[in-house]
Amino acid sequence: MSPLYELNNIEHRRGNQVVLQIDHLELQRGRFYALTGANGAGKSTLLQLLALLERPTSGELRVNGHLVPQQDRHLCSLRRGITLVHQSSFLFSGTVAANLVFGLKLRGLTRRDRERRTLWALQTVGLDDFAERRVNQLSGGEIQRVALARALALNPRVLLLDEPTAGLDGYGAPAFERLLVSLRDQGVSMVIASHDPTFVQRLCAEEIHLVGGRILGHPCSFSETHRLTTAGSSLCLNPLKMQER
Amino acid sequence: MSFLGESFGTAFALLLALDSEVLTTVWTSLWVSLGAILISTVAAVPLGGLIALHGFRGKRLVLTLLNTLMALPTVVVGLLIYGLISRQGPLGEFGLLFTPWAMMIGQVVLAVPIVAHYTVAALSGADPRILPTARTLGAGPVRSMLQLLLEVRFGIVAAVVAGFGRVIAEVGVAMMLGGNIRGYTRTMTTAIALETSKGEFAFGLALGLVLMVVALLVNLFLNLLQQR
Repeated sequence: MSPLYELNNIEHRRGNQVVLQIDHLELQRGRFYALTGANGAGKSTLLQLLALLERPTSGELRVNGHLVPQQDRHLCSLRRGITLVHQSSFLFSGTVAANLVFGLKLRGLTRRDRERRTLWALQTVGLDDFAERRVNQLSGGEIQRVALARALALNPRVLLLDEPTAGLDGYGAPAFERLLVSLRDQGVSMVIASHDPTFVQRLCAEEIHLVGGRILGHPCSFSETHRLTTAGSSLCLNPLKMQER
Repeated sequence: MSFLGESFGTAFALLLALDSEVLTTVWTSLWVSLGAILISTVAAVPLGGLIALHGFRGKRLVLTLLNTLMALPTVVVGLLIYGLISRQGPLGEFGLLFTPWAMMIGQVVLAVPIVAHYTVAALSGADPRILPTARTLGAGPVRSMLQLLLEVRFGIVAAVVAGFGRVIAEVGVAMMLGGNIRGYTRTMTTAIALETSKGEFAFGLALGLVLMVVALLVNLFLNLLQQR
């Protein structure tokens, strides 16, 4: 069975600068990956590529074994199974409900189903009574939670999260982590960029560590990474990564 | 002062009596300018979108050209189009000169650079996260673009209003291409110029008041949109 994502000889540039260089990476379905690395390591860029929002400057990106099409209109149907929640999310002007309904309408859900999913998603992130609230009345943390609810409402098969815990004020990381575990148990594939090593450890995610746009080692569990790092082995990590840790 | 007071009195009387000549002139102005701004919007908003959202060689030059075209004197536009549609011109066979359609063409040429320029400004200032957000939620290229336009709708409406302001108030194009024919191509601005030169100050004033009311209504509409 072909992997969910397969990246071969990927190079991505911004201007003259190479921001991402990946020789080979495979991500399997139903697994939970954590992208770690310092600021500017390429985590968000890799998420953008996985979300099919940007095309790599060169190299081969396959989703479910198929090469990613070049034309935007062909990408659209592929994107509908993948949702990215940005680190600093943008909400469309209007109400919270209108934001949640946006993607559901595009998928042709009936009004009743849209309402049901909107309610469920808002309850899931602890914003039960926020449906009719206008987005310009929300705090930064609430915006982030609405963005998460908007993504969850779409019931994506692949969920990409860029620093999801950064703005979760009051809601609490434990509830959010329980939600992620529940999604993983439902077979949702997840890739999460995070600065927080304990977050990655608690969720037993497979870690992909980026340094200067390159992956060091190959995806491995945090405990494995941690064990190998303390033991000084380079099976999973190369010496550069160990230095950084 | 009594001259001004009497003129205002006569102007209000003309308006209240729904003077047919005043109404015809107002109607000609409105439909020609509304038609022109509709065509300009359809052409200039996508043009502004193309310029704003795509990086290409010569973009700065195109923007400078747009800025220059915004300040085109109306008589120059009138002159150029006159050359094209007069009987000896390349489009002379269509018999457009001294018709409302000729005025509309001229007004489109005046309004397109303004609407395009303000559209570029509105889209350039838009939040860069709008398009990726729409795309990651499953929107295709057209729906994403529509969402972007919805998010900057105040800027787009302002662009259209600025364009409308330019065409409803211009004299040169209407005079040169319409010919100021009574009951056919006479607009509020050409009528004001003509009637005032004939000494019919009150008639000109009445039309001037209507022009101001139109400007007020357009701004009220804009305010209403912004409050929504």
